[in-house]
Amino acid sequence: MAPARQTQPLFGAIGLMPITVSFLLAMLMLLPLGSGIAGYATPHLVMISCFYWLSWRPLLMPYGACMLLGLFLDLWLGVPLGVNIVMLLLTRLFVLNQLKYYKGKNRGVYWLVFSVMALGFFTISWLIMSAVAGTLLPVDTVFLQWLVTSFFYAPVAFVLGRLRRWVL
Amino acid sequence: MQTTGVSGRGARFKRVARGRDAFWLYMAIALALLALEVFGSGVPRQIRGYANDLAAPLLSLLDGPIRATQAGLERVAGVGDIYSENQELRDENDRLRQWREAAQRLILENERLRQILKVPQREIPPLVTASVIGVGGGAFERSVLINAGAGDNVATSLPVVDEEGLVGRTIEVGLLTTRVLLITDLNSRVPIRLERTGDVAIAEGMNEPFMRLRFLPVDSTAQIGDRVVTSGHGGLYPPDVPVAQVTSIEDDFIRLTPLSNLEALDFVRVMDYRPLAPEAEAEQASGEEGTG
Repeated sequence: MAPARQTQPLFGAIGLMPITVSFLLAMLMLLPLGSGIAGYATPHLVMISCFYWLSWRPLLMPYGACMLLGLFLDLWLGVPLGVNIVMLLLTRLFVLNQLKYYKGKNRGVYWLVFSVMALGFFTISWLIMSAVAGTLLPVDTVFLQWLVTSFFYAPVAFVLGRLRRWVL
Repeated sequence: MQTTGVSGRGARFKRVARGRDAFWLYMAIALALLALEVFGSGVPRQIRGYANDLAAPLLSLLDGPIRATQAGLERVAGVGDIYSENQELRDENDRLRQWREAAQRLILENERLRQILKVPQREIPPLVTASVIGVGGGAFERSVLINAGAGDNVATSLPVVDEEGLVGRTIEVGLLTTRVLLITDLNSRVPIRLERTGDVAIAEGMNEPFMRLRFLPVDSTAQIGDRVVTSGHGGLYPPDVPVAQVTSIEDDFIRLTPLSNLEALDFVRVMDYRPLAPEAEAEQASGEEGTG
């Protein structure tokens, strides 16, 4: 009989893997990769990572970790403090409330759910940024970032999936 | 058995309640930070300046392999065009030689005229040359992170250029790193002058790869291909730094394409341009009038 798959949270160094990977992806978002200099075509890799790990190992990505990742992103990206914190906290809230509806479905459903969620959260971040700036910011660059982030979900989730099966 | 089920449900309920509390606590912190940004406190900007120093060592470490990979890919992609590119470069080299001779003559002439008229030097010395190690802003801001900071005497609001033209200005200075707001950022306004006509206007960033020319005098006519340079008004940027070129005109929308290579910045120069405070400027002006 095959041993039952590990369903309990893991602690110790391996249990920190989702946070570490998300942290490294945050670094990757900062690197000057080609057109990334222009900024508008950079996928939100941390949101993808948080969604992925929350969908598969929610206990390894607590609210505190989302808060810290969001804080570092805000600090490093140079956007107003709080924008990415709100986005990542809402990602966790969303996944924990909606996971029961899409858990176990095929990868396409996960991709679709992520895209819909990201659209909502990019809209919220656009509203926050507009409120901070005191004017309505252009929507097209936010829309482009949402498109790029949605597109990148599949390859990034694939890599994270390999990593999860290999390590956790 | 039932007792275990009840206690299990109880533990789960407690965990959910704890999670909900944590969510609202962190959300309150996020909103407080946002409020701090909105009400104009300089603290978040200062924190951000020093937070970039934390990321700098790793970004600098990753910078080398990334540049090597990009250069390798560009080399592979460029092999097919190498012959035509070589011919173009030879032609350009001939043209540049002629220009160099003309420029050297003009420099000497200019120098003599400056000495005769006692005009002060306008060249701005570079403060430091730095490498771009990070980007920022996501969809909302256009900024880059460079590996020079307060330790290299970099301060806020210094102009930054590359070999082609104006890149932006320094906004957040840490000990090892500095964030540079690009001229294409929505918050960037550069006072400029049309090189051909001398008319002054504003080059406005739009969070796009291009900029918009605004507040041009009604009787002025911009043409496609016109270069714009900084006018020096406002004191943030020195005069005559190349900024952009007019690339399209549709009704009152004049589009400018930056001359600097913003899509693939690698090295930039921070200029040592610290404009005088208004009082000092007035004093200097009155002093000059007195001696004249």
